[in-house]
Amino acid sequence: MLKLSDIKKAYRQPNGETTRILDVPSYELSEGEQAVLIGPSGCGKTTLLHVIAGITRADSGNVQIDSVNMTDFSESGRDKIRADKLGYVFQTFNLLPGFSALENVLLGMTFASKKISRDRARELLDRVGLSHRMKNRPTALSVGEQQRVAVARALANKPKVLLADEPTANVDPKNQQQIVDLIRDRCQEENIAMVIVTHSMEVAKQFDRVDRLDELNRVVSEARANA
Amino acid sequence: MNVFKIAWRSVQYRGFGSLLTILSMALGVMLVVGVLTIHGVVSKSFKSNSSFGYNIILGARGGALQLTLNTVYYLSKPIETIPYEYYLTYCDEDTRRREFANSVTLKAHECEQQALDLAAQLDVGGPLALLSNSAREMVAENQIKVMETERGGLYEPYAEMAIPICLGDYYEVPNTNTAFRVCGTKPTFFSELVLDLDTREKFRFADGNNFNEFDEKYGYFSAVIGATVARQSGLKVGDSVYPTHGVPGDSSAHIHEQGFVVVGVLEPTGTAHDRIVFINLEGFFLMEDHAKPIQEDKKKVEAENEGKSESKVAETAGMFDEDQDAELEDFVVERKEPDKQEPEDSALEDAVADDEPATGATIVRGVDVSRPAVIDLTKEPLPIEQRELTAILIRTASSSDDEFSQLTNDMYLTNKINGGALESNLEWTQFRPRDSQKAAQAVNPIQQIEYLFSSIVDPIRWLLLILTLMICVVSGISILVGIYNSMSQRKSEIAVMRALGANRGKVMIIILLESVLLALAGGLLGWIGGHALNVVASPYFEAQTGVPISFFSFAPAVPLGTMLGGNLGLPEGLANLKMSPEFLIIPGLIVLAIFVGLYPAVSAYRTDVSKSLGK
Repeated sequence: MLKLSDIKKAYRQPNGETTRILDVPSYELSEGEQAVLIGPSGCGKTTLLHVIAGITRADSGNVQIDSVNMTDFSESGRDKIRADKLGYVFQTFNLLPGFSALENVLLGMTFASKKISRDRARELLDRVGLSHRMKNRPTALSVGEQQRVAVARALANKPKVLLADEPTANVDPKNQQQIVDLIRDRCQEENIAMVIVTHSMEVAKQFDRVDRLDELNRVVSEARANA
Repeated sequence: MNVFKIAWRSVQYRGFGSLLTILSMALGVMLVVGVLTIHGVVSKSFKSNSSFGYNIILGARGGALQLTLNTVYYLSKPIETIPYEYYLTYCDEDTRRREFANSVTLKAHECEQQALDLAAQLDVGGPLALLSNSAREMVAENQIKVMETERGGLYEPYAEMAIPICLGDYYEVPNTNTAFRVCGTKPTFFSELVLDLDTREKFRFADGNNFNEFDEKYGYFSAVIGATVARQSGLKVGDSVYPTHGVPGDSSAHIHEQGFVVVGVLEPTGTAHDRIVFINLEGFFLMEDHAKPIQEDKKKVEAENEGKSESKVAETAGMFDEDQDAELEDFVVERKEPDKQEPEDSALEDAVADDEPATGATIVRGVDVSRPAVIDLTKEPLPIEQRELTAILIRTASSSDDEFSQLTNDMYLTNKINGGALESNLEWTQFRPRDSQKAAQAVNPIQQIEYLFSSIVDPIRWLLLILTLMICVVSGISILVGIYNSMSQRKSEIAVMRALGANRGKVMIIILLESVLLALAGGLLGWIGGHALNVVASPYFEAQTGVPISFFSFAPAVPLGTMLGGNLGLPEGLANLKMSPEFLIIPGLIVLAIFVGLYPAVSAYRTDVSKSLGK
């Protein structure tokens, strides 16, 4: 379902020097597979998710999602693939403050090719336990509730792959497990491949597959070997 | 969720800022609508007033525009007057004979004849008789020259219609600050003038009817009132009106003792006539202070004649005995001093004396204007030598609607009048000496109105429009500032939308739509506000122009090409398409909104998703 090969990414610094960030020879995820990606800060976790999502373009290498090679497409083409095949859960929720919970979920369908379904949006909110808060704006919701809305939004367009970037980092301990369960169960239900980036070993040990990016990313592993 | 809803939600989310932006845009549009509508009303008022079926206004020489404004729209202060004889040059023989019969010159002539007869009787065959015979011939010759009653007026063949009007008085509505102008005129004003040249529509009476030259019940003292006067004053047929002499605000203004009885109420015409109290011209002349003081002129002429001692006629005229002088003086209406007048009405006298109105009395300037007008049916018309007119409305003659012949007559009469023909061709009498007469001028009201529009009204309109459009542009810039200032906080929102699959074009459209929605909301609010304001101001504008404004009164339609200042490559049919400029406001605002929204939209387009997204 998700296949990365020879992904390289470097940033040019203001002083003109180039800093390598990613060098991932391969990474694969089959349909409905759930994986946790861990690694120390600065090892390129978020950058890797951005590359997978097509938000950032890799300098080289291929990103295949559902047998579609994203690197073959222009930016607008990648936008379209992202809208149709990917769901994204952010650490900081990133709900739009002017929209209600229901509208935030609907926003997840707005840019996709599929028809917008209010029923699915309501059903998702119901499943995340927020059927009574549909009309509330994010400011009226607790952080746990906000992240649940964000999960519902990420699932709205029935994605093939869900990317979650430290989804529990800003959530109080009481809600952390609830969020993890929610993501895992919903992805399982809908057979969605899932990558969760986390620092929390509590979260990591709940999944069968745990990948260390500091090992996958040759930039980090080589640096460590040279140190 | 579509892009419209996303944009609208964004507008809603920035509630107060959006509201201020919308209000500032609404204010600009409100002013634009106000300027366009008011200009339309003024144009309509001027247009409808200027197609009244006359093409020449004859008045005292001076400002042509002032004469037009004064005569056609009853605007500005009263102007100089012209002698009544000017009017008679456009009258037929019968009218002239009837009018001249009421002449102090004719009366003087009869006195002279009697004096000569008496001299001949007293000194039969003597030198006095011989002298009187010689003088008789001269007097007879003089009579024909002076009276000119045996033929139609000099310019009568060229004029199809001539209506005299007198202005200068006002009617103050009791217990209000409202005053309407009074116009003395002939019944032909309502029977001859047309409201619309195309339809030949004339004045219609909502109640009562036109006044007569002389009414068996009301004599010369009947009045017809315009629709606005009737509505605002509550006057109806049978009520009395007391004109004010002078401008109501002046301390010297006073109420005339002579009242007029309303005999007719006009239907609304949408013109300045709606605000006028029309009174019988004869009655106008008979009010105190309206008679030209002939005695002074007579004395002046006599003094000159005595100095020269060369005219036998003058000597003969000086042969009047005291009784004949007294008879002549009785005929002439003397100028009355208002201060010396004694109130005739005892109730009024009491009211003035006690400074307390009588029960049920309405006092204006110390005069009980609620009392019924006292009509003296025995009053004789004012001698023509004592009459002065403000203007004469002339429609030049045309043969079987031949516009060219009317134009020719128009040019002929205009040239004659402006060349001084009236002053030089008339045989002025000793009671109305030529050298004391005002020179006349003829003006074409249409030309004057076009001049007014092209030189004053249109430039002012453009100035106001530019100013109000500038307000719209400033409001547009406030949209730009509002959206631009919010861009820093919105970068993450834009990045989230991009992360959810929105492409650069879509986020750009969302920002542009937000700008358009703000402008449209302001535009619609301003349009509604502008028209609501028009409705609120309608009574004022109706009072000033005679044109009522409703909520749906749009600025008058003009060709699209004219509005845009040129065809701009539009197809001819589209360029000639007539529409109200108001319909360009919304498309104009959309263009403005897109223009001002472009910069933040491009900024949104360029947003770096990766940097702006955070984690």
